[in-house]
Amino acid sequence: MWWRPKFCLLLSLYLGPVLATELFEEGLNLRPLRDGKVAAHFSFTTLLKGATLRDPQSLASDDDSQHYTLFPLALGQILREYAVTELHLTLNAGSWDYNRWGYPDEPGVGTGAELWAWIGDGATISVDQRWQGLRNALAGLFCASLGSLDEQRTTSPVLTFTPEGNLPNWTASHQLRHATLPSEHVCTENLTPFLKLLPCKSLSGIASLLNPHRLFDADWHGLGVHVRYLQDEGVEVRLAFQAVLDPVRYSPARRRDWSLRSLFDRVISTACPVAHSSVIRVDLSLVNSYSITPTPTAVHDNHAVYPVVPIEQPLDIAMDWPAETTFQYPLVSASPLTPLSIQRTLKGWGQSDGQLSLVITNHLPVPLQTGYLETMPWLLQFYLHTLHAQIDGTTRDDLVKVITYAAPVPHAQPALLQAVLTLPPRSTLRLTMDVAKPFLRYTEHPPDAQRGWDLPPAVFVPFSLDSMGTDDVLRARPTRIYTPALLVDLATPDFSMPYNVIIMSCTLIALMFGSIFNLLTRKFAVVHVGDAPQ
Amino acid sequence: MDFNVVFPALVAGRLVLALSPLPVDLKNDHLLSSPLTSYSRLQEGIYLFQHGTNPYSGGIFRHSPLLLSLFSTFLPLNPTTSPLLWTASDVVAAWSLVKIWRVRSGVSHNPRDGLIAALYLLNPYTLLPSLAWSTSSFENALHLLSLMFACRGQSSASLLTLAILVQLSLPSILLLIPLLLLIVSEPISRVAAPRTFIADTRKSLPLLAEFAVYSTCLTLSATLACGDWSWVEKTWGAALLLPDLTPNPGLWWYFFTEMFDHFRPFFLMVFSVHQLIYVIPICITFQHDILYACYLLLGVLALFKPYPTLSDPGLFLSMLSLFPETFAYLRHPMVTALLHLHAALLLPLFHHLWLIQGTGNANFFYASTLVFGMANGAALLDSMWAGLRIAIGELKEDFEVVQE
Repeated sequence: MWWRPKFCLLLSLYLGPVLATELFEEGLNLRPLRDGKVAAHFSFTTLLKGATLRDPQSLASDDDSQHYTLFPLALGQILREYAVTELHLTLNAGSWDYNRWGYPDEPGVGTGAELWAWIGDGATISVDQRWQGLRNALAGLFCASLGSLDEQRTTSPVLTFTPEGNLPNWTASHQLRHATLPSEHVCTENLTPFLKLLPCKSLSGIASLLNPHRLFDADWHGLGVHVRYLQDEGVEVRLAFQAVLDPVRYSPARRRDWSLRSLFDRVISTACPVAHSSVIRVDLSLVNSYSITPTPTAVHDNHAVYPVVPIEQPLDIAMDWPAETTFQYPLVSASPLTPLSIQRTLKGWGQSDGQLSLVITNHLPVPLQTGYLETMPWLLQFYLHTLHAQIDGTTRDDLVKVITYAAPVPHAQPALLQAVLTLPPRSTLRLTMDVAKPFLRYTEHPPDAQRGWDLPPAVFVPFSLDSMGTDDVLRARPTRIYTPALLVDLATPDFSMPYNVIIMSCTLIALMFGSIFNLLTRKFAVVHVGDAPQ
Repeated sequence: MDFNVVFPALVAGRLVLALSPLPVDLKNDHLLSSPLTSYSRLQEGIYLFQHGTNPYSGGIFRHSPLLLSLFSTFLPLNPTTSPLLWTASDVVAAWSLVKIWRVRSGVSHNPRDGLIAALYLLNPYTLLPSLAWSTSSFENALHLLSLMFACRGQSSASLLTLAILVQLSLPSILLLIPLLLLIVSEPISRVAAPRTFIADTRKSLPLLAEFAVYSTCLTLSATLACGDWSWVEKTWGAALLLPDLTPNPGLWWYFFTEMFDHFRPFFLMVFSVHQLIYVIPICITFQHDILYACYLLLGVLALFKPYPTLSDPGLFLSMLSLFPETFAYLRHPMVTALLHLHAALLLPLFHHLWLIQGTGNANFFYASTLVFGMANGAALLDSMWAGLRIAIGELKEDFEVVQE
């Protein structure tokens, strides 16, 4: 195409000085999994070089005008309006299977919506007011019910959600706000505004593979927006989309062969012209006896690398297993891919109380410690004095150390439980705690009240006791493990009854009141009732 | 039967029941313990307090700081001490009831003593909450203790007990005025011979001041025990604002579950103030027998309390045994008894159907609380009628009592 060099030249002349301060990189990680599925991780990173954050103390005065070329303006305006230092928003559907899929590329895989932000204090507008503004603005930007992440769901679990970037050294400290809404589902209406934030939209480059028909048909899918501040570099926005696709399901012959076209129903025909780098990497560590086309440009520690710029012909990566006629699912998952396996269930049959049960297995030959976080709305109330740990039937309460606990307040505030669990090597810890199910006002129930309430996942952060001889995964930055969400069945009143109840209760009270005052005020008299005259 | 045989036998029987494994199954029952009196919540509060968290920062623990400091310091609460403690509390209550009876009847030993103790210790409405380790048993014991001290003229002890009781349960403040009048008058049975109040009411003013001093001291020490004033909203505030809508046998919970949000404060105010209306009229009408007025006000409390348990009507019904002279004049004793029987069967049944079995809905249990409210109201009206009707005495044939 004759015009492309000229166009690029023009573009670079026109945008030259701006491009030097904004850097856009895109990448796609594809990871064939042992159970025949393919985990895809799209990431689109924009770095605003040399940018400084807005000091909360300057919130009272007007902000500088903002001019961006690649950095998403809609998001940038929100960040500066509420002076947010670090922001993480994830919208996921399904529960991530750590045993079979290993750690995800983006750690935030909790079911539903999760939003957490580090916000600097010291402004005339309080952190909570800015947090409220932030979630409402993001709700508008991403068409999601983030406005429901109100103070009934907001906590500050600082031990688990440590900042991923740097916090600027302002006079006032930073505060964490975290909230989850597990019943929120991610759908096309969230992807469309997500794509609008990308410099090439979904027209070219890796983003052209983001086909909603295929992504929202995946076994697991979720999008994320991550903003962090890097002291020496600037402000970084990472837009990420993860999906676990099932080629066996798409294939009539039930084979696990896949290609970009079979997975996404699209191929990459043009590169994104403003991308500084654009790379597709295929992780080959979990599979063998495959063949992959086209030949990768390079292979770095079990990753086949395909740069997307420049493209001469449409790029369609394909992987197949010529020796296999149909895919045989592995019977038992071999060694689990994460050091911990966690099951979290809500036991009991009544609508007034129950028991929360956690079964945590340490697969490593070394003792492990793990942070344990529950951010439970007041829809389930813990009896912390009944928290007990067991290993092989013997009580081991010494293995549980509660760090912080904030009790829930009905109609107002969630519970926050941060604990550290010690797991002996190759052992299974059983944790039980009695819970009470509260009773809600009739206006507090959702429209489909009998369905129950989704409860947020618990979060575990494993870290090793000794730095020697443990898994490489643990020696790096500790990674969060989310449990699946729970569903709690709360007792419902009769929703058609408000008038009846008001009428009947008031009648009874009025009856008693009237009868009592009748007795107390009227005089008693003896009257003759017989037929005979007196 | 001899009281000295019956009473120890009753106590021993109660102790055997208390040491049985029943309490574990009963302790979370909504009929036997309310959020303000639940044993599990008390334990949770003590656990939080001992681990350095303010138990009043959350909405689970709503017991008085007095109980918190008592059980977290020198009286540990565990499955060994609890049966003894709750049995002791019931024994104190029954013993006080017998003492009140002795003062009222004017004889030191009476064949009815054993019966009165049995009517308290074996009353299922007071027995079951005590087996469930509900702190409402303590409240009952304090009610009876303070009445007993008042009957015996021990004003300071009586007022101190009432002050402690108000710390535990705010609605019991209703008893303050009749208790002051009871202290300055006599508990002798005069219900059949109405007359104007003879004793000097001005004597009750210093007693009121004494009560205020006790209450202030207890409030301050409670604040000292938990470090700040957050307990006021969580304990006393709960009785006024009804933040926890856990079902109970009373009239409030479903009403405020189904209440429109913009009317909630208005009706909370109406329901709270409504209980105060009864105090003065009942005291005026029964000025000749103030103990009877106290008894009727306990009936009002059992009917209209925000977080009642079965032990509140239980106390009222057990106290009926103090007034045998009125039995002949009860208006509809059979109807009342059947209503109580009806409610006592329906309440646990419908509670189970709604919350455990899942085959009934909330209206089932609500309907049975209405029946229970009718039963309590009928018992109150019966006693009130009998207390007024007794003044007229036996009637000749062809004559009937009506109200003008």
